Amino acid sequence: MTTASFLDPGVLARIGNLELLAKTVVEGFINGLHRSPHLGASTDFAEHRQYMPGDDIRRIDWRVYARTDRHYVKEFEADTNANLFTVLDVSRSMRYKGGGDDQPSAVSKLDYGCYLAASLAYFSSQQRDRVGLATIDGDVQEYVPCSAKHLQLTLHALQRASATAPGTDIKAERELLPPLRKLGESTRRRSIVVLISDLYEDPDAVMTALGHVRGKGNDLIVFHLLDRHELEFPFTEQSNFLDVETGARMPVIPDYLRAQYRALVKQHCDTLAKRSRDQRVDYALIDTSQPLDQALFTYLMSRQRMSRVR
Amino acid sequence: MQFLAPWFLAGLAALAVPVLIHLINRERKTVVEFPSLMFLQRIPYKSVRRQRIRHLLLLVLRCLALALLVMAFTRPFFAKRATVLAGAGAKERVILVDRSWSMAYGDHWTKAVAAARAAMGDISGTDRATLVFFATEATAATEPTADHARVERALAAAKPGDAATRFGPAIKLAAQILEGSNLPRRDVVLISDFQRSAWTQQTDLRLPAGTHMSTVDVSEADAPDLAVTSASADRDASGGRDRITVAARLANTGAAAKDVPVTLAMAGRDAQTVHVTVPPHGSAQARFAAVTVPGGAVRGEVRIPHDKLANDDAWRFTVAADEAVKVLVVEPARARASQSLFLRRALAIGDQPTFDVEVKRADQLALGDLAGRSLVVLNEVPFPAGAVGARLRTLVEQGTGLLVAPGDAAGLDWPAPWTSLAAMRFGAVTDRTRDAGGAVASIDYSHPALELFAAPRSGDLGAARIFRWRALATRTDSGVLARFDDGAPALVERAVGKGKVLVWTSSLDDYWTDLPVQPVYLPFVHQLAAYAGRWSERRAWFTAGGTLDLSRHGELTAMFQKADGTMPPLVLTAPSGSRQRIAPDSLARPIQLDEAGFHELRAIDTPVGSGRPVAVNVDPAEADLSHVDPAEVVTMLTSPGGVAATSTIGGAPDENERQRGIWPWVMVMALMVLVGETVLGNRLARQT
Repeated sequence: MTTASFLDPGVLARIGNLELLAKTVVEGFINGLHRSPHLGASTDFAEHRQYMPGDDIRRIDWRVYARTDRHYVKEFEADTNANLFTVLDVSRSMRYKGGGDDQPSAVSKLDYGCYLAASLAYFSSQQRDRVGLATIDGDVQEYVPCSAKHLQLTLHALQRASATAPGTDIKAERELLPPLRKLGESTRRRSIVVLISDLYEDPDAVMTALGHVRGKGNDLIVFHLLDRHELEFPFTEQSNFLDVETGARMPVIPDYLRAQYRALVKQHCDTLAKRSRDQRVDYALIDTSQPLDQALFTYLMSRQRMSRVR
Repeated sequence: MQFLAPWFLAGLAALAVPVLIHLINRERKTVVEFPSLMFLQRIPYKSVRRQRIRHLLLLVLRCLALALLVMAFTRPFFAKRATVLAGAGAKERVILVDRSWSMAYGDHWTKAVAAARAAMGDISGTDRATLVFFATEATAATEPTADHARVERALAAAKPGDAATRFGPAIKLAAQILEGSNLPRRDVVLISDFQRSAWTQQTDLRLPAGTHMSTVDVSEADAPDLAVTSASADRDASGGRDRITVAARLANTGAAAKDVPVTLAMAGRDAQTVHVTVPPHGSAQARFAAVTVPGGAVRGEVRIPHDKLANDDAWRFTVAADEAVKVLVVEPARARASQSLFLRRALAIGDQPTFDVEVKRADQLALGDLAGRSLVVLNEVPFPAGAVGARLRTLVEQGTGLLVAPGDAAGLDWPAPWTSLAAMRFGAVTDRTRDAGGAVASIDYSHPALELFAAPRSGDLGAARIFRWRALATRTDSGVLARFDDGAPALVERAVGKGKVLVWTSSLDDYWTDLPVQPVYLPFVHQLAAYAGRWSERRAWFTAGGTLDLSRHGELTAMFQKADGTMPPLVLTAPSGSRQRIAPDSLARPIQLDEAGFHELRAIDTPVGSGRPVAVNVDPAEADLSHVDPAEVVTMLTSPGGVAATSTIGGAPDENERQRGIWPWVMVMALMVLVGETVLGNRLARQT
């Protein structure tokens, strides 16, 4: 089995145990890297900084004081553990999987999101980071607070989210704002917040909702999951399209709509990417037919940036 | 343009289908679940794409193909209009309207009246039109006129009768009217359902040269009808009770079998109902169990539920007890032992009719013996003298038959007043015993009394050997019904008053001939006795449109005859209530029977209901609605080589459609359009 195959969602779908799946992903991913990404709780010196009232006087570098007669404090890299808090959208639209002849082993966006969340949690747990999880569907459905001991709880919550049937109320609002505002208010420590969703909402509303999380000093990574069918719209036959969220129906002749649909989706994604950049949010558009490595690299880069704690 | 099957035009509604497919938000069966329609709903597809018809030419071709297919199924045809009469000037028009009872079928009569009005449409000014209604007979309802109101009144008052259709009288009347006209243009419009039974080709039936003839055929292509076409009733008077067994025949001209209840009504009351299934284009018999009926003439009716043609849904008949022919045989005072034996025994076997035979010696004959006799046989006795002779003479003049066999009798003289018999004188006896006898060699088979023997193996009078006969001198050959091989008269008939006198010049027993031991003897004497005794077969019914000759149907008038032989004035009341008075001396005058139903014949001084019922039915031949081509009628009626034009207005739709149908061409056009649609559709599909 190649390294890439460890990250193929089609292969991962055959692994029933989410922990084993996460381990498989992470180990496979790490084996493919040229250097170890493990950062550890290092005490490596980073730089000096002028003492400011309120700083812990134990961190004053007395040698520098002796030479310069000024108070400087020493700063070290990664001297603290980070929180990884994953927010997973479990709405009906996330249960969509395209399938078809070109994608016989497709997994749903929700499953893909679970794999991704589990892999990130496992990966972070290996870093001795605290992991937590919230599933949202118009509101917070399940909440696992961040803790170094909550890997199993997180994985179980993901398992349930994947296995639980969606609610019957198809008219429920699926806005991100209420649950994210609630989560933002409940976050006390700076965290790496990972939002996994298909973001079927107006970009303005999405960014408003993200602002409630980002405003707390959290690093925010947005994984925008879309199925290949949602991106490319490969349908050919005239059909009635049913919105699984609202129950609305619409007769569609795909040949007439494909080009405009693709343009609208691209415009939507580009807008989200641009607005995310503006708000210093890491945005990654993930095609669920692709392996998980892109998502993991995105996280890794963010984690490295986070490791430089000042 | 007309259509043979116009109801297929409803298929044009299918034209909406392709349009709806293009325009309407049709609910499709396949449903694709999609995460969100957020982007799809932003595309202005609904307001533009769906409601705009793309490939307009393709849509037009499809609609056109569909419309042409529907048109082909309606079987369109062009009905040729009547050609305009050539020449100029006023015209004489005869409008012949069929009012036979088959015209009561469906809306035939309505169409006929409308056609007659249309035929009056261009009559104006100096033009003249004559409206003639015809069935078995033809009658001009109006004088030649241009007065539309007058014709309209005649049309409004007319309705189908009960008689059958015959074109002959109508054409003759039309020809008579046209020949008497001095107008330059002459035409005939024949409006009928053109039943085949109405048309018999007669070479002498022609319209005047130059006559334009047009026809209006109001018949339908398919005219199913169920009719009662006949009924027979056997009467059995044995056991002191009159029981009759009725069987009726039903005919079905439709293409579907019919199961109908058939009801027998006797003496005005429903007696039995049986269910009969009549096969398509076939007939079936309905048999009823024997019914006990009161004595005398009884009304009977077999009926079925009414259909589109109600006139033939009932068959009426009367059943009357047989009345025997009362025969008095007068033989000599010293008669041979077998002198009247053969005659008496032969007549005793009679069934239709039965004979009530009484034999009297000439010397015992009294006045009372003659009372009520239909036939008197003078078996080798001279004509009675005195009061008995006078009475017999009177009775013969009033209708009693007289059969004379001279034999050895002497003094054979006819009564003086009978001038018609005076020229008939008996002569010497011809003896042929030496040459094995003579034979009857010449017979007038056209005579009613002898027509029975005309058919092969129906009795050969020539087989009998006649050894002796008495010569009979006649001035003319008239009335000689049979001759011997030497040319001498064998059987001679003379009329005396209303009675008939028959003379058989040999003997009625085996004294002069072996005829009595020949098989032909029995039917021979039966025929002579029935004919001379004025017996006629009882008619259970008569046919509407025909005539009734009461002088030939004694069974109808017998109940009115008084003891002295006189007849009171009679009245015949039709079902509609109209009456005809019949004088005693005009019984032989034919009475026209126009109405179907039960007529009543009664003496003028008796109450209604006490008379003799007379059943009249419509002509069952008219129930056959099979069709003759109007063009054939026109061709036969117009002068060969003349200027008469033939044309058809309307006509039977199926016939017209066969002759002028265009559906094959419409179908070819539809196929061509479909080919074009396929080519265009493929081309457009490749482009997209």
